[in-house]
This record gives sequence, C-alpha cells and structure tokens, in this order.
Amino acid sequence: MSDVNATSVRAIATKDFRDAVRSWTFWGLSLLFFLLVGLAAFAIGYFGNADTSTADFLGTVSQVTRLVVPLIALLLGWKSIAGERESGSIKVLLSLPHSRIDVVLGKYLGRATVLSLSLLIGFVIGAVVVAVMLSPPAIADYAGFIAMTILYGIAYLGIAIALSSITKSTTIAGAAMFGVFVLFYVVWNLLNFALQILMNQGYFSGVEVTQTMNGNEMQYERLPDWGLFVQTIDPGVAYANALSVIDAVEAPGFGTAFSAELFPSGVPFYLQNWFSFLILLVWIVVPTAIAIARFDRVDL
Amino acid sequence: MSAIAVDGLTKRYGNTVALEDLSFTVREGEVFGFLGPNGAGKSTTINVLLDFARPTDGEIRVFGKDVRAESREIRRRTGVLPEGVETYDRLTARQHLEFAIDSKDADDDPEHLLSRVGLEEAIDRKAGGYSKGMSQRLLLAMALVGEPDLLVLDEPSTGLDPNGAREMRDLVREENERGATVFFSSHIMEQVEAVCDRVGILRDGEMVAVDTVSGLQDSVTTGATLRVSVDRIDEGAVERVRSMPEVTSVDVEEGQTPAIVVATEGSKTAVIHEIEDAGCEVLDFSTDDTSLEEVFRAYTTDRREEVSA
Repeated sequence: MSDVNATSVRAIATKDFRDAVRSWTFWGLSLLFFLLVGLAAFAIGYFGNADTSTADFLGTVSQVTRLVVPLIALLLGWKSIAGERESGSIKVLLSLPHSRIDVVLGKYLGRATVLSLSLLIGFVIGAVVVAVMLSPPAIADYAGFIAMTILYGIAYLGIAIALSSITKSTTIAGAAMFGVFVLFYVVWNLLNFALQILMNQGYFSGVEVTQTMNGNEMQYERLPDWGLFVQTIDPGVAYANALSVIDAVEAPGFGTAFSAELFPSGVPFYLQNWFSFLILLVWIVVPTAIAIARFDRVDL
Repeated sequence: MSAIAVDGLTKRYGNTVALEDLSFTVREGEVFGFLGPNGAGKSTTINVLLDFARPTDGEIRVFGKDVRAESREIRRRTGVLPEGVETYDRLTARQHLEFAIDSKDADDDPEHLLSRVGLEEAIDRKAGGYSKGMSQRLLLAMALVGEPDLLVLDEPSTGLDPNGAREMRDLVREENERGATVFFSSHIMEQVEAVCDRVGILRDGEMVAVDTVSGLQDSVTTGATLRVSVDRIDEGAVERVRSMPEVTSVDVEEGQTPAIVVATEGSKTAVIHEIEDAGCEVLDFSTDDTSLEEVFRAYTTDRREEVSA
C-alpha cells in the first residue's frame, strides 16, 4: 500500500542512529564483545608463533563472533519498533510524512549502522592486539571477514526488527528475541540429532556412502541432501559456511567442507558454500519483507 | 473545499464500536474544537485521520485527499500533536526538531520554534529529563515545523499548567491567523470555548452537536435565569411578565433592593422591555447564562433536565 521515500528513510535512520548509539545496554554488550575479541586476539598472540596465519586468527575470532554478534543484534533490534509502539512515539514518527515501510527500513538502516560501528571497533581492537604481538592480519582477508560478519549481524538484526514490529509490547518482543536465541542456539543443533535418529528409525532413508579415513574405508548412512540443507539454514551455520568463501578462512570447522566422497554425483548447488552466502541474504530480506507487509496493515 | 470531511466513518474493534457512522466537516481556515468525554471516540477519529488505524467503513478526506491512499501527501501539509506519547529520552530538543525538519524537508530554525513554545533554554538537554509539560511543548514545536496548512492537536493541554495552556491557545490563534486550519480535540470545554470558531461534540462515537460556541449555548439555554432589580414591585408588571409565552416562572424578591427573578426560554431583553413598559424602572439586571461547560454536560450526559434546570 505505502511506498518508499529515500528522504524519509534517511531521516528516520539518522534519528534512530542518534538514539540507539546512546543506549547504554547496547554499549555494555559491545564492550563485552570488544573484550572477547581482544582476548581471542591475545590468546592467538600468546600461543602463536611466526607460522600463525591470518586464518588461525580469523578461525578463533569467528568462534567469538558467531556466538556474540547475534546477541548484540537481537538486543539492538529488540525495542526498535515495539518500544516506539509501547511508548506511543511511533505516532510522532508517523505523524510526519513517512510511510510504514520507511519506518521499518529507516530503523533497519539506522541500527545496522550502529551495529557495524560496534563490530568495526571490536575488529580494530583485535587487529591491533594481533599486530602488536605477532604480525598484522592480511588486510584483504580481514576486510572480507569483517564484511561477512557485519552481514551476519545484519541478518540477525533483520530478524529482531521483524519480530519487534509484530507487537506493541516490549515484553513480548523480548520473549521473541529469547525464542530466536533458543531456536538457533539449541533447537537447531538438536535438529541434527533428531534427524539422525529419525533416519536410523527408518522414517526416511539416508544416503549410503563410503568414506576413507586414515586409510580405512568406512561405510555409513548420511543424512539425505535436504537434511544437510536444513542445517545450513541456521544463520550461524550459514555464516560459518559463507566465511570459507574468503581465501584465508579454510581452517577446519569452516564451510560445509563436504568431501566429494560423500557426493558421488557432485555436491548439489544448495549445499555449496556460496549458497550459504545467499542464505544470509535471504535472512536479511525475507523477515523484513514479511514484517513490512504485516506492519503496513495493522492499527498502531 | 473543506479541510477535513468525515463521511459515514465507522470503526469497530472486535465487538466494540468506537465510532458509528460519524460525519462532519471542518472548514478551511477555522479553529474547530472536537469535544467529548474520554472514550467518546476522539482519538479513534484522529487515528483514522492520520492513517494510524483503518476504518471499518466510511472515509475521511483531508483537503480533498483520501486519508488511506494519500496519507503521506496529507501529512506533509499537517502538523500533529499526538496524545499520550513520549518523546525520545536519549535525544535533545534540537535533535527532535532536526528530525521533524528533515522529515518535512523544511528549513525552520529549531531555536526559533522552541522560543515560540517557551522551551529555548532546554534546547540541548535530553528529553529524558523533561517534565510532562516540557515534553508537550517540544511536541507542539514539532507540530509547527514546516508551516502546516492543518494542525491536529489531540488534547494539547495535557501536562500543561494554566499558564502553559494559555500560551498554547495563543499559539493556536497565531497559527490560525497565519492561515492554518486547526483541529483541536479536548475533553475540557473551557480550552475550546476560548479559541474555537466551531465546536463538535462527540458522544459514544456519534456527533451530537456541531455549532458555534454561542449557537451551542443558545441550543441548551432552556432555563436561563434573569434577575431584574427594580425601583418597586408592581403587580401589573409581574403579571405581564408571567403571561409571556416563553417565561416558565416568575419570583418576586421584596426588601431593600426589590427584584423580579424570571426564568425564560426566550429573549431576555424582551422580559426587560416588558417590565419597563409596565412602568417600573429597571435599576440593574444579571443573567445566569449557560456556560459551555453546562452545554457540554447537557450533551454528554443522559440527565439533561438536571443540567439545564
């Protein structure tokens, strides 16, 4: 129904940036993030030697970012719209000539900027620590890693803003944030086991594969392709997979790294690492689009 | 063209009817008082006007534009003081106004706007530390951004002391003289009485009266009491007044300053002429006019006789 206006989006983003950047809760969590990145960098520096590569550094730091970035993003997006509806200030916003789409997009842009700022500060701290103790990380790889991490944060932020737009209550919105956290930190991890069990029970059949490990041939049944795909939907997994697109990040634990042996007829496109990058983009676009469609219709 | 045209507006929330077939118009250039007790549907009407809520039936047009389809265009020309909203705690008054100015692509000066509402000294303080009245002044300043053609003020006196309420009324007059149409909602009659050209009274989602302030007073002036001090009580004069068709009762007060107390539904001057014609000298008279407050109560309570008696 409503349209998008660039001036409106910019005005809302500016206002929201100024507002969110002054939130102590946000900076409290950011500080924790700085500390963890700094510590990870310090550990690399302390235990590392001349052979320690950028890949090792990013491997460690990405463990931190994968867990902490969603927390920062969820907290940052939590009250973005529900808070304005609860306090009534959404009426101030929408008394001005903005459409509701402008509001959602402006909020997203404003808070994504705040989030990027926080992440950049953290990564500069990490880089300085490593540079002082060992050697500076490879610029191109580090930049790619930062960009991908920001994208990951923005994906979670999109989920948070979308959920924040569905309710007038910051309490309910908070519960929704917690729900997302539980979903991707607990439920999704269990899903793998659940699928495995269901497969073993014979509810669906997997794929018989032969893999050579330490010279021994092992035969077992792996999850079917769709079962593996389900795992890659988790933004955290998608992030880890997408990171392996960056040259330096080829350490174990990154990427789907499915060996060709598991896929005699080739790895399907949707299980390849570049597809995980698309999944991240889908997380950025789809929840926001759904939220806009719904938010555009409700009574405030 | 009318500034606001409400046509057959109905709004239901589930089974609750907030507005029932509401129709009225606000003329361009007037100050319209939108009056009604809390819960009568004033805010719902304003919510539909600003596209915060969607009508169940009917429509509102502002400057001839549909509030659903052309909301953005309408809000470009409208300044709004919403009711019961908070300002942004972490932003200063200047930042609030910069936001409104950017949003409307206007070129107002935040300091000038704040001086108009008497908040210039708090310009660089965060709104989180403001009193209710200060927040209200800030919101009013935001509503003035971009010289709007229409001002929608929802319960603008909320949180203001009597002095603040008077300043607010002065601003309404200034804006109206500049050419703005003002749509002003309130549940307090005296706020409206002083500034409004016309008043609409809303009750249970229906408009029960729309008229000028004096027109409304006349419409409920069923029992105005006239107290006429005379040089002497003349029985003939009393009889002549009593026989007037609109007069409902006549009492006589004897004593140092004799007076004839007349309750009439008609013209008060006619009563005075009648007494003079009968040969009495009228020394003084006072009327007990119906205040707009009573008009309001008359229209918004069921026990209307009690009020007008």
